Amino acid sequence: MVESIEKPRDKYKFEEKNSNKEKNVANMLISGRGDDLFTCSRCGTCLSICPVYRQTLDEGCAPRGKLSLIEAVANGKIPFTEKVSQRLYTCTMCNYCTKECPSGVKVDELFRAVRSDLVDSKKYPEILDLLKDRIKKAYNVTFDTNQGRLDWLKQIPDININEYVKDTAEVVYFVGCVSSFSPRSFVIPRAITQVLKGAGVDFTLLGEDEWCCGFPLLSSGMTAQAQFLAEHNIEMVRKKGAKILITSCPSCYHTWVHEYPDFKSDAGDGSGDGAGYSAGDFKIMHISQYLLELIKNKKIKLNSINTNRINVCQVNENRIDKNQKNIKVTYHDPCDLGRNSGIIDEPREVIKSIPGVDLLELQNKKLQSNCCGGGGNLESLNPQLAAKIAEAKASEIISTGAEILVSACQQCERTLSNALKKKKSQVDYKIKVMDISELVLESITSSVE
Amino acid sequence: MEEEHIKYLIEIAGQDRVATDMEDKICFGYDSTRLEYMPDAIVKVSESQQISSILKLANEYKVPVTPRGAATGLSGGCLAVKGGILLVMLEMNRILNINTVDLQIEVEAGVVTIDVDREANKYGLFYPPDPGSLKISTIGGNIAENAGGLRGLKYGVTKDYVNTMEIVLPTGEIANVGTKTVKSVSGYNLVDLIVGSEGTLAVVTKATLGLLPAPPARASLLAAFASTIDAAKTVRDIVSEGVITATLEYIDNVTINAIEDYLKIGLERSMGAMLLIEVDGQKGAVDVEAEIVKKVCTKNNAIACKLAKSDAERDTLWSARRAALSSLARVRPSTILEDATVPRSKIVELVEAVNSIASKYSLMIGTFGHAGDGNLHPTILTDLRNKEEEIRVEKAIEEIFVEAIKLGGTLSGEHGIGLTKAKFLKLEISGDVYALMKRIKQAFDPNNILNPGKLFIE
Repeated sequence: MVESIEKPRDKYKFEEKNSNKEKNVANMLISGRGDDLFTCSRCGTCLSICPVYRQTLDEGCAPRGKLSLIEAVANGKIPFTEKVSQRLYTCTMCNYCTKECPSGVKVDELFRAVRSDLVDSKKYPEILDLLKDRIKKAYNVTFDTNQGRLDWLKQIPDININEYVKDTAEVVYFVGCVSSFSPRSFVIPRAITQVLKGAGVDFTLLGEDEWCCGFPLLSSGMTAQAQFLAEHNIEMVRKKGAKILITSCPSCYHTWVHEYPDFKSDAGDGSGDGAGYSAGDFKIMHISQYLLELIKNKKIKLNSINTNRINVCQVNENRIDKNQKNIKVTYHDPCDLGRNSGIIDEPREVIKSIPGVDLLELQNKKLQSNCCGGGGNLESLNPQLAAKIAEAKASEIISTGAEILVSACQQCERTLSNALKKKKSQVDYKIKVMDISELVLESITSSVE
Repeated sequence: MEEEHIKYLIEIAGQDRVATDMEDKICFGYDSTRLEYMPDAIVKVSESQQISSILKLANEYKVPVTPRGAATGLSGGCLAVKGGILLVMLEMNRILNINTVDLQIEVEAGVVTIDVDREANKYGLFYPPDPGSLKISTIGGNIAENAGGLRGLKYGVTKDYVNTMEIVLPTGEIANVGTKTVKSVSGYNLVDLIVGSEGTLAVVTKATLGLLPAPPARASLLAAFASTIDAAKTVRDIVSEGVITATLEYIDNVTINAIEDYLKIGLERSMGAMLLIEVDGQKGAVDVEAEIVKKVCTKNNAIACKLAKSDAERDTLWSARRAALSSLARVRPSTILEDATVPRSKIVELVEAVNSIASKYSLMIGTFGHAGDGNLHPTILTDLRNKEEEIRVEKAIEEIFVEAIKLGGTLSGEHGIGLTKAKFLKLEISGDVYALMKRIKQAFDPNNILNPGKLFIE
């Protein structure tokens, strides 16, 4: 019932054997997490912010409802059922609930732990097996072999791969699976490499040696299966002798900074300060942070953006103030970058460094940014729901009156582009969606008129 | 409930709108009291006619029906204590129209409180009732519980803003009560009877709510006091000086320390209490009132009194109050928020009584709330898994109620009697009035099917 738009899908794998795993959850009551379950006062604060609840109005999918289900399992009231499993995976993992919970319940940690139990007891969406197998065989989330990692680069005429993949370099750029394999995201690594080259940065890509960071597995509760990815990636970056690792994908960043230190194999003490990989000798930065450094160190020069060139806002002449010179930009904080990694100011500073740009903030911004709907594998499990969440975000974007939506995540950009297209009848102009690196590249290459 | 009844429900509301799975019953079996009572069936209704059909069915077969909004209530009002059917009103969430001349907005019961205010704001108006859960609570729930909020002193509570309602009676009739006129004396005032009746008399499906022009100016002040008594005296004196403030919030020492532990915003931990005061209205009037408030604070030995000079400063002043409950909730695993209310003139006595009850039962009680209207929230910080402590908590709650009644107050300012305070109702109302209330219930609901187990101990 109650889930007209999120019916259980056939993809749910389910073995009806009575697993001992329920006992594991019950043990949480003793081992410390039970406090968290008990601490939830059912106040309902999470309902008002949970993107899934706001679109479904289904209590069972709200954080409060999920916690009550976990508690019911832990207390032996119900076993892990398909419905419980489905509920637990109906989540974008945006983590807004954890940050806003008045009682300080660590919702994210609880969900992760329970998802892991669901995986152990083989009660998880079947599509995750597909994902796991792909990553295990090809080291990426797509159907392609990992040899295609640099297709986005090789397709550029007259490119000299050796300038991009070197034996050693000061900076390693970790492209991420989506930007490497999804043609519509190719603009991001192309923009980043062009900016880095222009700024004279000594950088390299990992090419085929870049493997999936493991985020999709970790967020699904398949922690053990992600171990080999972490070990491999750390080793590859070390081999390059790099001082800095850059990611453009916020989830890769989050994984490198917050997850990899937990893999104890050859990792150190896990005492990272959040700014870099604790066991390594290199610093981890998101591209928005690195771009800001380049700007501050005057390694790149920013010009006013030539709006004609990027085809912005020229549809309805009437809506544009004739005296308006500045271009209106709004910024969407990706969950894994803003709320979950605290990188909030840097992307804004980058945008504001560009001459002739007005930054208009969204109603919900920074730590309160609403999710685009593209997180937590929800898009694979329940595309209609993910799309509804994205459309709600699109409405918020439209109401800013911005001409350009900038984000710093290939996934947010894709979901929001699609959602804005669906809403195009509501606006009389086209909102251009750009990655922060694209915007910077436009600014560098725009000639002053 | 029998199989047959479920089938009828499915016929009325549709297969995908009726749930009987254990997982759903669990998720629809609680509210913010954290008590748990599972319904037998959950129905997501989308129109009044469906509710009418369901109530006719329930009335015929004597199946309990409990209406539910967002389930953020603090007295158990939406819990299906007798099982039966849970009516989920959330999808009836359309704003129907707004009239900027009559200053009224018509909404369905499932509309979220803050959305009413947001819609009004578009026309320079506002909807004054602002319960703590306004970001998610529904108008239907607010009406059922006669929800209050921070602005009660000046602007009143939900009952002051409900003009008309569409209701469904327990016997299935759809009825319209109330009037959109400012004045009306046509028959009994059924609106005021139903507002605050906790879903025991009728299911509210639509309401026309009054709005007010948004005040153009406001001023916020934060005053700190070494002694609780001085703070409480200030509350009385501000009103005596002829100023009705929009908000007059009290935060005690326990709460101040909890906030400081959580937010670390530099609050002076030794402060006995602080008051957060806001006046609103026309620009000149606001300045005059703010000045009077400041004088009263100083006269009552305020150790500091800060007037916010900008919206940003106002936000900073308010951040402590906003975090009050969250901060207290983090101290211990269980948080019990009470709302015993006294006449403003008895605030000092209530504060003293709560403090002595806290030490008598060795409990941690943080008190904050709407001191201006005598509605404080003594918040007991505890761990209900500890049975010995739970007994002390129960005794303390009962004593707070007894004290409040002694002071001429009431059991509940804004949360309702519901399930949790039903056993105390006779402390406040006489046997005759109790019997009268039961007769009213009987007149509306002869078979006692609508939200049974609330208000009255049966």
